[in-house]
Amino acid sequence: MRSRTKAAAVAAVAVPAASVAVLVGSATGASAHGSMSNPPSRVYVCKNEGPETPKSAACKAAVAANGTQAFYDWNEVSLIDAGGRHRQLIPDGQLCSAGRAKYRGLDLQRADWPATSVKPGPLTITYHATAPHADGNFEFYVTRDGWDPTQPLRWADLVPIQTFAHQNPTTFTNWTINLPQRTGRHILYSIWQRMAYSNEAFYTCSDIDFGGGTTTPPTDPPTDPPTDPPTDPPTDPPTDHGTWAAGTSYAAGDKVTYNGSTYQCVQPHTAIAGWEPSTTAALWRKV
Amino acid sequence: MRRIGDEAAATSGTPAKGEDRSRLKRAVPKYGALAILAACAVLVFAQCGAAGGSPSGGSTPAAQGGRGFNPSDVMFLQMMLPHQEQGVKLVRLAKGHAVTPEVRTLAAAIETTEVAEARQMQKRLRDWRRPLRAASGEHAAHGGLPETTDAELEALARIPADRFEREFLNLLIGHQDDAVQMARLETGQGEDSWTRQLARRVDRSRSAQIKQMLKILDPQPPEDSHRK
Repeated sequence: MRSRTKAAAVAAVAVPAASVAVLVGSATGASAHGSMSNPPSRVYVCKNEGPETPKSAACKAAVAANGTQAFYDWNEVSLIDAGGRHRQLIPDGQLCSAGRAKYRGLDLQRADWPATSVKPGPLTITYHATAPHADGNFEFYVTRDGWDPTQPLRWADLVPIQTFAHQNPTTFTNWTINLPQRTGRHILYSIWQRMAYSNEAFYTCSDIDFGGGTTTPPTDPPTDPPTDPPTDPPTDPPTDHGTWAAGTSYAAGDKVTYNGSTYQCVQPHTAIAGWEPSTTAALWRKV
Repeated sequence: MRRIGDEAAATSGTPAKGEDRSRLKRAVPKYGALAILAACAVLVFAQCGAAGGSPSGGSTPAAQGGRGFNPSDVMFLQMMLPHQEQGVKLVRLAKGHAVTPEVRTLAAAIETTEVAEARQMQKRLRDWRRPLRAASGEHAAHGGLPETTDAELEALARIPADRFEREFLNLLIGHQDDAVQMARLETGQGEDSWTRQLARRVDRSRSAQIKQMLKILDPQPPEDSHRK
């Protein structure tokens, strides 16, 4: 990846400026975009219902869980640095969101996600890529026999169907896969791993129904958790707070030590990783 | 992320894009002079700074690398700047609305730290004699400039008070989740060590903010909370 970037940088010097954008774009790991449109993925279903006007109980719950923005950005359920490490990066129970908080509503364990009726045997599927970059592997999986949609989706639940390697997708790309025998509700899971210029990968969960399963009990729309107003963090009088520690609430004036130096808090905040006093002059003044 | 210049996306998923953006423009005056000042200080520095004369002239390809830095470094900074401009606008909305003290404190700290980061990012780009923003065409070539939620900012500003905090947090979680992704691209592909360190800090701080916000939204998550 690095050498490719350097090569492109060198090339950029030698070509007219107009061409540079394209070179740089691909070299810096262009973001592709897409999702399954048939059978539609959860995010695709809800964006089609309308992020502001979801109709199904499942989409309503998903919007309630993570807000509307995720559904405007329906084509970016992705990890930019995946590079094939899907199982390392995405925890069980979060496969539909790719482990991304932005998309956490897609992981809701419900038996009423709008599902496409299917039968065992050949099924033509469609991937909608709004930025169809060349050379990607498309992997398709179905949940194992006996999988329960009200349980977390785990990697171990997925049975491989087929991988289409080194594909050059178009805006709408069709493949035919062979669905195994199943009954009732299942998930067709896909991974689009880009193979050139980028480690980015895209993930989809499409709900499918083979029929013949137990009838789905209607699920009550989940009630929003009561929002107890969090209590005000106690404001200690400015004092020496020992060693800086993430998770601690600091008030303006509080002093801490960090890497052998003393710092004074200039703005109240809860300390987090990435806001260390030595690198966050906006919040800490060295004294 | 909605993206400027991503024409494929414009024809497919989000038909209201153009409309959205123009609606925001009407919304901006709400925040009046402060917002304009802030925009100048934070980001429209391209223009504010031009008077002081420095960003490179039109002949330099915007995201070209140089000695010790590569196109990924330049593009990361050029993409983070407008992303943070949006983020700062977003967190400032917490000031005019009823939110819990915890959220207010977090939003204020995010504002301060991101404004400071933006200044450093601008300095870096100016030192490199690179524009503070790439031309939108350059972003289109790699999927478009990430542009969070102009329409949502306006919608959020008008939301009923009892729903504001939840919607605010959801929008901010999504925004910071996008920042984490952008940072990881730089961590993987950048060359300049300062910029890579910044990207690591962006990754860690935004991930921690997301965790904190998820906890505010759902004080006792089931078992396995989202990793970011």
